[in-house]
Amino acid sequence: MSWPGFYTLSAAWLSILLIPLVIFYFLKLKRPRLEVPSLLLWNQVINDQRVNSPFQKFKRNLLLLLQLLLLACLILAAMQPFIPSGADRVKYLPVLIDCSASMAATDAGESTTRLEQATQQVSKLIDDLLPDQRMSIISVSSHARQLTSFTDNKRLLREAIEKVVTTDLASRVEEGLRLTQALSRTVPIETVILYSDGNVPERIDFDLPFQLQFHRLGQPASNIGITALTAQRNDVDTWHIFAEVMASVAAASGTKVQLIHEGEAVMDDYVELEAGQSKRLLLQVTTESASELEVRLIPDGSDALEADNTAYLRLPTARPLAVYCSESLSAFRHALQAMPGVDLFPDGDEPRRRTSYDLAITDQELLDGIESNVQVTVGVIPEAVQKLVSVDTGSANVVDWKRNATLLQHVQLTDVLISDQARSADGVSDGDYESLGYDILAHGNTGPLILERRTGDRLFYHILFHTDRSTLGYRVAFPILVANAVRITLQEAALSEVRAAGTGILPPQRLDPDTTYSIVGPDLKQESSTGDDGMLSGIAAPRSGFYKVLEDGVEVRRVAASLLSAQETSLRAVEELQFRELTVAAAVDQVKNDRPLWHGFALGAFCLLLAEWWYFNRPAPIVTT
Amino acid sequence: MPSTPPPTAPQSIKTRPSALTGLLSNEALARLERLRLNPHRRLTNRSQGEHLAGKGGTSTEFSDYRDYAPGDDVRYVDWNIFSRLNRPYVKLYQFEEEMHVMLLIDASSSMLFEDKLLRARQLAAAFGMMSLLNMERVSAWAGRRTGEPMKFLPPCSGRISLRRLFDFLEGLEGGGAMSIDESIEAALRQHRGRGVAVLLSDFLTFGSLERSLNRLFSAGLEIFAVQILSPSELAPDVSGDVRFVDSETGRTLDVSSAADLLGIYHDQRQAYAEHIGEQCQKRNGRFLSVGSHEPVDSILFDACRRQGWVR
Repeated sequence: MSWPGFYTLSAAWLSILLIPLVIFYFLKLKRPRLEVPSLLLWNQVINDQRVNSPFQKFKRNLLLLLQLLLLACLILAAMQPFIPSGADRVKYLPVLIDCSASMAATDAGESTTRLEQATQQVSKLIDDLLPDQRMSIISVSSHARQLTSFTDNKRLLREAIEKVVTTDLASRVEEGLRLTQALSRTVPIETVILYSDGNVPERIDFDLPFQLQFHRLGQPASNIGITALTAQRNDVDTWHIFAEVMASVAAASGTKVQLIHEGEAVMDDYVELEAGQSKRLLLQVTTESASELEVRLIPDGSDALEADNTAYLRLPTARPLAVYCSESLSAFRHALQAMPGVDLFPDGDEPRRRTSYDLAITDQELLDGIESNVQVTVGVIPEAVQKLVSVDTGSANVVDWKRNATLLQHVQLTDVLISDQARSADGVSDGDYESLGYDILAHGNTGPLILERRTGDRLFYHILFHTDRSTLGYRVAFPILVANAVRITLQEAALSEVRAAGTGILPPQRLDPDTTYSIVGPDLKQESSTGDDGMLSGIAAPRSGFYKVLEDGVEVRRVAASLLSAQETSLRAVEELQFRELTVAAAVDQVKNDRPLWHGFALGAFCLLLAEWWYFNRPAPIVTT
Repeated sequence: MPSTPPPTAPQSIKTRPSALTGLLSNEALARLERLRLNPHRRLTNRSQGEHLAGKGGTSTEFSDYRDYAPGDDVRYVDWNIFSRLNRPYVKLYQFEEEMHVMLLIDASSSMLFEDKLLRARQLAAAFGMMSLLNMERVSAWAGRRTGEPMKFLPPCSGRISLRRLFDFLEGLEGGGAMSIDESIEAALRQHRGRGVAVLLSDFLTFGSLERSLNRLFSAGLEIFAVQILSPSELAPDVSGDVRFVDSETGRTLDVSSAADLLGIYHDQRQAYAEHIGEQCQKRNGRFLSVGSHEPVDSILFDACRRQGWVR
């Protein structure tokens, strides 16, 4: 048995109030005076009372006793008594609540979600919070957010946990731990409590500087969801839809798969999955124009997560690729002319001249009035790297290249001879290029030969040597290189393949430059502005659904973010968190905390007050004379 | 909250033009004319009166015969018996002597509560009138303040003294701390004569009554004690913590949870009344406890008659 302790022992000084209470009682300052003919009978009554009943003395001072008890209760309540839990007491207690998508799951046999179970347990913690303890609520999903600073204000804490809602994002516990580590620079943090369903990465790249109590919530539950959705153009008007459906690790389940095109169900399928199994489904839709596509799952039995049952895709309009190629690059033009679905510019038809292209291939440094998503420069050193590299006349060959780079896939550069020799300046290393945002795809014997750089949604490839002064143009590798460039462009323009966007961050959108847009999504409204390049990027998409981009209240674009992480759909739960140096096992018991007793004493004081009031105001007994 | 009516000033008695006194109604007075006090003992004075004494006298009430002795007044010889028996016998008659009725009224502050003093004056008027109409000597005493001389109506007798008695009682005012035993002691210092002492008081005194009653008994006065209590004394309505203040002495008594003590209070009150009655009975006296709220007619013609105080 542990003896109760007191948080505010100094409040014991209040017990000196007992002295004036007794004094005031015996002074009887508030007794009503009642004049009677004679005290004779009442004197005899008092004498008789004292003689006859030894308890009458106590009864006579019952008011005093009740008042003393009442004051004692109040003093004890003010002293903040508690029953020690036996665990080490912490003054600052950060509580991390996992609010990733899997926390919205409702387990079999439960009526509440995992997040609601977590908030209920945190509410108990808040109720038992002691006066010298400060708590901070931190929500964790793909990022961490401190909902309250360290406070003992229970109202604020309760309001904070009421605001905790699940997001359709994956859980990154280390984000919450890092935030807590940052907080520990201002206050001493010894213990951190984490409420999670364990649907987190098995290995967490973090060194724990404090003790972590991991409280795992939820039971294995049946769930099925879409984890990937892509569309590939098969023909001019035919798209192949690939949907990956995954079942949770807990149970096998089946689901009906519905393909909805422009609000109309066009295809149904049925899939049965073993526990933890995933299947790729091939669906097909025929359309030439831009349209919206929805894949919806209708599970057979219970389904813990609703958010991963729907995925959206926006199919683009089928059109030929607009490619600009300088007329001086005849080899490139020749290769491009042979490719289907490519409109090559300039083609001598002046009215068809345009300013925006999907792909631009040029040997000029600046392309005035021409914009393109993908640009390939040939024999031009970008201005940013002119201090790092120079091209001289000489003999160079390709030493190594990135064979997995999309541009150089299946491109053999071994025996290519180059008469333009790119030479890095003295002391320049590969890191200097990378620091400027350039990735070296091909290395020559004296310097880089091909560079890649992405700026926003634009992709630049710089071939530092001129192909006309190399043997590349005579190799099989050359048309493959051009075909790779066209394929990259098709992907960038989303003309050949589109992927459903996942939750988290919306894909960058090219809109009008220097314009402010409102983005209205599920349970979210935010504003963002485009820069000079017109790119709207970094838009948070924490919930699955459509996000409308509005300019002055008018919808200019509609973007869907619907795919959840496969980890969330699997509802896989870890038994322990593996950190770099140690492992934290999930705790089964509720968090032990000191139990405050002041409520009981305050309630006791109130009851005593009521008892006193009742006792001294109850009707007088009827006495027959 | 405790509720006891505050003491009231004695009501000034105004005699209605058609009434003999404001204390009693004419109907009550008419009924009282036919009543007289009925003491246990025949305590009389030597002076001639209408109260039959135990010894022989010259009244018209026949008592006995005895043999004639030389020197007897021949007027008392029963000549009818002499003619039949040829022996002289003398007729004896009862002696009619005067009885002194002392009315002692407690007029202290405690009697100012709830018509107690009024009821005492009414009863005194009734007993006084009965006595005067029956040719007894009546004197009245009223004790108020300790150290002050008692208000006193000298002994008087006869119907002619009725007005004096009523005037005395009607003008009687209360207030003071003189206890009933002090009043008795003070009255007996001046009183002369045997008879009846009618004590009208609440008897709520801290002093000992036994000595005073002994002195009354020694003085040849049969005790007729009437305890008059107010309704708030008979059934007090108090609760909670109360500070009682004695109306006479100003002393205080703090009582907690007074409602709980009401049972004990009633026991004590009844025991005290029984004690006074016992003390009176020991001295061949009588005791009656009445409430000031009871009608005076009910007390006189019901309670007193049933207990044989009057006949």
